[in-house]
Amino acid sequence: MPVTPKDAAPPPSVTIIGASDAHGVLGRDVRSAADEDMGRIVDVIVDRDGHVRAAVIDFGGFLGVGSRKIVVDWNAMRFGKIANKKDSITLELTKAQVAAAPEYKEDTPMVVLGASGSLQPLQAIQ
Amino acid sequence: MLLSRKPNHAVRDGHVEQHNVAALPPAGIPAPSRQSLRGLDWFIFFLADVQTGFGPFIAVYLTTQKWTQVEIGLVLSIGGIVALIGQMPGGAIIDAAKSERLVAALAIATIGVCALAYAAMPVFAVVVTAATLHAMASCVLGPAIAAISLGLVGPLAIGERLGRNARFASLGNGVAAAVMGTAGYLLSSRSVFLVTFLLAIPTLIALSRIREEEVDISRCHGEMPREAPVPGDTNVWHLIRQRPLIVFALSVLLLQLANAAMMPLMASAVTARSSQWATVLVAACIIVPQAIVALLSPTVGRKAQAWGRRPLLLIGFGALTIRGLLFATVRDPYLLVAVQVFDGITAAVFAVMIPLIVADVAFGSGHFNLAQGIVGTATGIGASLSTALGGYVSDKFGNATAFIGLSGVAATGLLLILLVMPETRPTGMTVTKEMAG
Repeated sequence: MPVTPKDAAPPPSVTIIGASDAHGVLGRDVRSAADEDMGRIVDVIVDRDGHVRAAVIDFGGFLGVGSRKIVVDWNAMRFGKIANKKDSITLELTKAQVAAAPEYKEDTPMVVLGASGSLQPLQAIQ
Repeated sequence: MLLSRKPNHAVRDGHVEQHNVAALPPAGIPAPSRQSLRGLDWFIFFLADVQTGFGPFIAVYLTTQKWTQVEIGLVLSIGGIVALIGQMPGGAIIDAAKSERLVAALAIATIGVCALAYAAMPVFAVVVTAATLHAMASCVLGPAIAAISLGLVGPLAIGERLGRNARFASLGNGVAAAVMGTAGYLLSSRSVFLVTFLLAIPTLIALSRIREEEVDISRCHGEMPREAPVPGDTNVWHLIRQRPLIVFALSVLLLQLANAAMMPLMASAVTARSSQWATVLVAACIIVPQAIVALLSPTVGRKAQAWGRRPLLLIGFGALTIRGLLFATVRDPYLLVAVQVFDGITAAVFAVMIPLIVADVAFGSGHFNLAQGIVGTATGIGASLSTALGGYVSDKFGNATAFIGLSGVAATGLLLILLVMPETRPTGMTVTKEMAG
């Protein structure tokens, strides 16, 4: 054991999460309940309290042309199917609903798309 | 002076037609072999295939590799800036090259390796290096194709040859979009870059079919044949001061300023308005203009010799103006695909006209490829301003206003051609053709 200086910070606490219990979401495929391709997650929207509010998905297009960034409510997404790298997130919206949404622009008020009837403050669902 | 090989300021008044009259070699009409011409066809076809994979698709691929939007934007900007500032040096390299085939082969090998690097190691340092190398190689390849064409067929038959080039390039783009779209959908985003790498191999094979001895190196550079009565002025400043070149570069800048933002704006409008068929419609919006170019460009090459350059330039700008206005008014996504026919017309005209008019103006100077680089720089500036401007106007005032604004830029280009651009078709060429045929 090396000698620790007097003012050394205490060692960080460590949490171990099982390999199949939690996953990164950036770049992950998003599919609708009907298994339509809904694009993939390119960003996550967090409010100033640190709560995750929404995800930005890059939706539509062909070979990168014509895709649009749409903000969808975090609660409209289901992560239960994710067990490994290739698994997708399920979004409780249809292609038609997402297509009609306005595009995401940074530093402007966002239009967050939620599943019908379930758009509510984050704290309600735990 | 590095660039002026023969500082020969004889009595020359900067008149384009004169150079070309002088350029007519009495008996020196080149007769390239069928094998070389076919080789050039397929070289252009496969090269277009290879380049398709490096388009907007890179953003999709890097997203799947957990890249953030900021990093992706940075890589794309670096590539764009290198592609812009590399245009003129790229042309100058081709002008100085002893073998255009060798330079082109090295550039393609580089691009193939870049594609492989993207697929194998999507980490920041590798991707930035690959994007930079790819942009540099592209700066050389653009002029190299036109230079090899000019070297093979000479200035008399170049119009038709450029028409054929444009046909094969757009067939290549169309086929590549279909193949890569399928690979991306069925396999993975990564597989698109493996396909791109594999396509570099037939590109090199096609290039090797072009016979080195038939590519006249002085013609590639746009120099006067030695037996010509009046040698060309090879001073680079003489070339740069040519009014038709400056006016044409300016009009190409306006063209790109009007054109480059239209397709992305329209494609995202299609994605917004049609849910079920959006992907198919966007694919159609990409493929329809390619099909039109493949159909029309040889005709454009022939008509450029028969009618002259100006009428075709006016048609190209006219079609672009109409397209902008239609995009502003048409809302049905299926009709928008039909409007893309006008994109095809503009693309067919300029695919042939850009190298052709540069050849008109620069032949005799020995700096044909540098002149291409100048026009290429104008293209790059116009295109990058266009997406920024189009995106800004669309955000602030809506898509319709953006399209009308872009259409207004196209109309300005139309006026520039109408009022200022001189006809650059070499006089005497038609006479010789009639005598020859």
